[in-house]
Amino acid sequence: MILQHFEDQESGIMNAIKKNPESASPRKKLALETARLGKRLYSNADDLVWAGPLVPFDLLNAMEVTPCFAEFIASILVSTDAGPLFFENAEQAGYASDTCGYHRMLMGSALKGMIPTPKLLISAMSPCTGGLAAMENLARVFKKDLFILHIPQKESDHGVRILANHIRNMAESVSSHTGKVLDKDRLRKAMENTNKTRDILSNIYKLAQQVPSPVNGRDLSNFGIVLPLFFGTEVGIEIAQSFYDELKSRIKANRSGVPGERIRLMWLQNRIQFKNNLVKMLEKEFNASIVIDELNVITWDPIDPEDPYIGLARRSISSPLNGTVERRVKQIVKLAEAYKIDGAINPCHWGCRQGTGARGLIDSSMKEIGVPVLNLEVDCVDPRNFAEGQLITRIEAFMEMIESRPSPW
Amino acid sequence: MKDKSKLIGFTCAYTPLALIDAAGFAPYRILPMGDSPDQAGHILHENLCPHVKRVLDRGMQDDIPELSGIVFMNSCDTMRRLNDAWQKVRPNDNTLLVDLPVSNDPGSVSFFAEELALLTDTLSQWSGNNITPERIENSIGRYNELAMHLNELKKRVDNGTLKDGSLRLQTIYNKAATEPIKDVMEMIKQMIDETNELSDGGLPVYLFGNVLPDPEAFVLFESCGARIVSEDLCTGSRMTHSIETDKSSDVFKRLANGLLSRTACARTVDPINPGKMALDVVERANACNARGVIGHTVKFCDPYLARMPSVRDALKKEGISFLLLEGDCTMRSIGQHKTRIEAFIEMLR
Ligand code: SF4
Ligand code: SF4
Repeated sequence: MILQHFEDQESGIMNAIKKNPESASPRKKLALETARLGKRLYSNADDLVWAGPLVPFDLLNAMEVTPCFAEFIASILVSTDAGPLFFENAEQAGYASDTCGYHRMLMGSALKGMIPTPKLLISAMSPCTGGLAAMENLARVFKKDLFILHIPQKESDHGVRILANHIRNMAESVSSHTGKVLDKDRLRKAMENTNKTRDILSNIYKLAQQVPSPVNGRDLSNFGIVLPLFFGTEVGIEIAQSFYDELKSRIKANRSGVPGERIRLMWLQNRIQFKNNLVKMLEKEFNASIVIDELNVITWDPIDPEDPYIGLARRSISSPLNGTVERRVKQIVKLAEAYKIDGAINPCHWGCRQGTGARGLIDSSMKEIGVPVLNLEVDCVDPRNFAEGQLITRIEAFMEMIESRPSPW
Repeated sequence: MKDKSKLIGFTCAYTPLALIDAAGFAPYRILPMGDSPDQAGHILHENLCPHVKRVLDRGMQDDIPELSGIVFMNSCDTMRRLNDAWQKVRPNDNTLLVDLPVSNDPGSVSFFAEELALLTDTLSQWSGNNITPERIENSIGRYNELAMHLNELKKRVDNGTLKDGSLRLQTIYNKAATEPIKDVMEMIKQMIDETNELSDGGLPVYLFGNVLPDPEAFVLFESCGARIVSEDLCTGSRMTHSIETDKSSDVFKRLANGLLSRTACARTVDPINPGKMALDVVERANACNARGVIGHTVKFCDPYLARMPSVRDALKKEGISFLLLEGDCTMRSIGQHKTRIEAFIEMLR
């Protein structure tokens, strides 16, 4: 069923582009490649590795294994008709409804046999303890081995060194479970590709900062979370390049992402993964654009292709979802200034302790620079209790408040 | 009266108490007790573990003794956020977050050993004392002794030969976490020396979970007809454990290995054996001949919530009855389960 979903998605996009080449957009390109990745995942691939979101996917790509992170697949499954059923399965099996929806979706679908069996699972305590627990549960259900990567909270010499070694061990473990070896040249090439993608991303983000911004609230949603799956590959570079080209051409044509942009917003952490009208409403009613998603950011230096492990370790440690809130908040404030935002929306994704636990500190730091934050209470993955009407009312009030005050910039 | 400025706060059973002792401090666990008003949810989020929220409430209300510093362990997401929030609400406190790996593989042990060395440097700065390896060895010896005595006491409680055993054992655990070790050791010795007095029966139950520090909770279990014949809680027997004393190996590595290899709480994972916690619960329940198992976990605790389905399955496979209770660290919440506990015990008879 899920394989069919990806096949339909791939052929649908290809047919649409064939019929109307003008309709090819970077967003479609990204959707096409994720459909292809999904197809590989569900085609009984014998080289499948499930990993947490902070695991270096470029290294896995260099080994030519099929990598996937659990939250990615959960966000795809939620858009299928069976989505709500999977949540019910999980809850019937005893997985508490007040835990993160990504993990409930994973467990519910795995128990129904809807998740392909990997050769190995790799997890880490970052970004979240719930994620590690979900991977342990999956390893138990699949009766497969679990490799745990310890990502230190702070960047210290000993932490980086030990994580770098751990990543090396991880590659060996992947090798012994999949039979794929890590070729030195392929690893070097993958790192060069990662660095190229990094450069393009950095240029994309600079373009997005322009006032008015060439991006609209949908262009770059989930971008900084999903693109790492393609790090180290030519496809990753192509996807990034197509976004860059599109934004460049919009700027050249004097076309802003949201026509008549009046309000610039930041979205914190997760987007809502199922269909909803919030972004459309923001654009239509208030000419408001989500110009920056918190996770669309580069926090790491280029990686040395000759000795990548230290750079890969530093990159994982530098994630905004790892480490102290103080560090995360500094990054958010920096983004707020760079993108000149008028306000931020924090969905406070239900069940995400690491994220929601930062709510108060984010609020107070943003207040210091004059940027208001709207804290919602949304389960970004489970649509069953989604109260769109109430959310719209709160967002409208927030927009009116922003409109009534001077810009912080 | 203890010298309050000599106290170091801590909040997690993985804290290396021997290092705090070696620095000349006494560890003081900020237990989620007392009646500070609920305020922490505004800074953190309502949907977060009540253990952490109540600890923060105590900090916000200044319902703690004067501390020279606080050592937080990176035991879970919520504990990390507690470290962040604490600095916001009490900016003048010395704090340190010690990174705590989730498994005991050699790389993680080495990493943790270096974290413990850093903690030692920090404690040395806070105290002004030079923490020599000898001092650490002596403190390890003292804490090993405490662990041994507590274990002896626990055995008497498990065998049902100490009057009001589980209530008094929990009281001693709380004292061991908050009062100078010397005084507590004396009290334990006196209790061990008391003459045997067989308890009045009750159905043998194995209790496991995370945070349940209120001794009254144990009175409640007994009033419902249960006798706790063994317990595995992070405010109970998981708080102390022996560390190897082979002085030929690096002391930090020994401490790191000891802490990461002791009876695991749900936040610690054995990657070789995913889901091991469920098997451990079954093994311990069988070892103490329990007729049933009660799991107690505070709400919103991801490490425990995520493992409960596998625990339930494993116990079911073994034909052992299981009752899961969720609470918020207050007697009110555990009291609300009274009827369920009574019914559970009744069903087991
Ligand atoms: S939303 Fe939070 S809890 Fe859920 S997977 Fe992401 S980081 Fe983990
Ligand atoms: S009870 Fe659970 S969530 Fe709370 S601090 Fe302990 S492990 Fe973390």
